[in-house]
Amino acid sequence: MKLYAYCLCADLDAFDKSVSGVSAAAVRVLKMEDISVLVSDCEAVPVTQENMLAHAAVVRAVFTRTTPVPFRFGTLATEQQLYTFITTNKRALANKLAHVRGCVEMDLKTTWQSSNPSPTKSDAVAGPGTAFLLEKRRELVGDDQALAERAELSTLLRTELGSLIKDEKIGLGPSEKTALAKVYHLVESARMKEYRARVEELRAQRPELQLEVSGPWPPYSFANIELEFGSQFGVSC
Amino acid sequence: MPDFDQILVGEEWESTDVSLLETLDHVLNRGMVIAGEITISVADIDLIFVGLNILVSSVETAHDVLRKRETE
Repeated sequence: MKLYAYCLCADLDAFDKSVSGVSAAAVRVLKMEDISVLVSDCEAVPVTQENMLAHAAVVRAVFTRTTPVPFRFGTLATEQQLYTFITTNKRALANKLAHVRGCVEMDLKTTWQSSNPSPTKSDAVAGPGTAFLLEKRRELVGDDQALAERAELSTLLRTELGSLIKDEKIGLGPSEKTALAKVYHLVESARMKEYRARVEELRAQRPELQLEVSGPWPPYSFANIELEFGSQFGVSC
Repeated sequence: MPDFDQILVGEEWESTDVSLLETLDHVLNRGMVIAGEITISVADIDLIFVGLNILVSSVETAHDVLRKRETE
């Protein structure tokens, strides 16, 4: 029997039985080392909207009591595999749980007019293989212009919201004329109202940014860990 | 389908605008991924992580690629 994993948290002994999991399965708390893992007994999970929302509902139910580190939808593993993952990455997981403790994720979307990124000289002379890899690189980390815009946006937000942000991730998706950025902020839950108010002020001061805010979310965007195996062998994961 | 009005707890969260798309985006695109060789099975399709997050592919597609390489 496999286990469907929803999230990890540091200090949860029982789960609200009124909230069911994927495929209407019961959700239970599995204690591994000092970590609580929310799981359902499950062999396979159909990709349905209902199951995705059930995953979100379990994570959010935990979120009302403590800060979870969510797994991505579709995480199935045996108990032994989960145990191995947790014991192998115990230190990184403990650090992650400490990092997000008492925090929420707030998401900002912003759009602004961007100059059209043009192919670089090296793109023009590159062969098809190089061009393909350059395009892949652009998809993953953005081109130079996107990186510059990301840095500019980060600087602006840090100037305006700096003391309220514990951590930040920015993703840019430039189109032909309009740049869309998704910014994820880790904010202490006690300062969430202050954060929202500051964003409202910023929206009034800089209407061209077209800021949209949503949250609080469980810290989905701050969930991944640096694998200890990877760091030991110099591999960035 | 879960009712998010019931899931959101507390006055602060009741007024939160949590859209369906954003929820699905969080659940599908973010969250911790267990790296290694754990098979993630959804909708009768096995998704498997090969190596350390280098490639995510359906097992069928991976087999197709391997078969093509063998015949080349």
